[in-house]
Amino acid sequence: MKLGAYMIWAAVAVAAGAIVLLGYFTNLDVIIGLRLVWLVLLRWAILLAAGGLGIGLVNLASVHLAKVSEQEPGWPYSGVLIVFFTFTLALGLFFGPDSPWTLFVFRFIHLPLESSLMALLAVALVVAGVRLAGRRRDLLSLVFVLTAILILLGTGPWLIGSESVTHERILWVRNWVVQVAAAGGARGILLGVAIGGIVTGLRVLVAADRPYGN
Amino acid sequence: MFDLRGLLILAIFLATLLAYAAYGRRRTTVFRKLRGFEELGRSIERAVEAGERVHLSLGTGSVIGSDSGPALAGLAVLSRMAMATSMSDKPSVITAGDGAMMVLSQDSLRTGYQQVGESTRFQLTAGRMLGPTPFSYVAGLPAVLGGEDVTVHVMIGSFGAEAALAADFGERKGIFVLAGTDDVQAQALLYAIASYPLIGEEVFAGGAYLNAGPLHHASLSTQDLVRFLIVAAILVGTLMRTFGVGL
Repeated sequence: MKLGAYMIWAAVAVAAGAIVLLGYFTNLDVIIGLRLVWLVLLRWAILLAAGGLGIGLVNLASVHLAKVSEQEPGWPYSGVLIVFFTFTLALGLFFGPDSPWTLFVFRFIHLPLESSLMALLAVALVVAGVRLAGRRRDLLSLVFVLTAILILLGTGPWLIGSESVTHERILWVRNWVVQVAAAGGARGILLGVAIGGIVTGLRVLVAADRPYGN
Repeated sequence: MFDLRGLLILAIFLATLLAYAAYGRRRTTVFRKLRGFEELGRSIERAVEAGERVHLSLGTGSVIGSDSGPALAGLAVLSRMAMATSMSDKPSVITAGDGAMMVLSQDSLRTGYQQVGESTRFQLTAGRMLGPTPFSYVAGLPAVLGGEDVTVHVMIGSFGAEAALAADFGERKGIFVLAGTDDVQAQALLYAIASYPLIGEEVFAGGAYLNAGPLHHASLSTQDLVRFLIVAAILVGTLMRTFGVGL
């Protein structure tokens, strides 16, 4: 029984994956009906993703409600989340996502909070750079820290000596590092990531990996 | 009408993968040492013995986007992780920034427990969506890491710059942090912050290093072969251009 169910899920996933993938390499109009199937599958995927978001929000609310009711460590934060979750949801449902009230929440609460976290990132990176020098004392880390300092020196203006020969030389080295060494390295890494992504996708396509479970 | 070159490359990829999988059954594949994955096994064992929790972050990418690849690799790690932590007092926690990815993580976790005959240990709230945007996801992480006795913090998924904060929360707690993503800039951030960063394609290697199956081993061999061929093609192309030979 279990074997049968697993085979059905796998067959559906493999067939859907193969048809969608084929759509990127062929003009599906030549195979009658396949274009329609392709479009339907893509629309279903978008619908399922939206449904997934709904399930995710229910999950988010239930996890935090459980934390509040059982008074687990940090439950006041969960309480705040539940209150604002309900408030934002009600705003969106009653006034619509484009209403001035909803936009006010996004523009003056949500956006500044996310920007603040982004700003925190700069502080975290400086601290991490200092920690890295002490924690991982190898050649690669040294090169990493020195390159970061070089790029910083060559990117912004200096308090004094921005017109000096030293600044110009650092700027030249910085440009070479960014345009040649870093760009080459990044392309190499991207190549590895792309190949890894393709192989991971193929594993799902041949049902070796079944993230949809058994 | 047909992109024959694309189809051919894909067919070669698939054939190589299956050939390596078949060949791999007859010989042992030897991998280079990756400190992160070696230490991960030991850290999970310690966490299970100490009754502490393991956390896997699948990132902020969506299932239907092009950024789903690393998270799918993370799900392969998850099934092994679920099996390894099935005896723990505290089950693993998996977080994602996408609802559909959360559903997949719950399915993978359930399957992992089923495979070791511990289906009853599965809890639906073990797979969670923390927030639908990258920074709302990260804002929810400290509560998971700080409030649930997490001592192993694994990040395998699609992250942007928010990965740095996600890893930093773990580092500040002094717990084991293994982190990898497909974004090059985020990888640089993780290199500076995480104790065990995964660079480049290493983010896809978790399944092979944790023995998730012969196709995972074959994947790494295929990746190596294809990369070698691409490097050779680039070198030959460069030499031909240098010497004025037309393609």
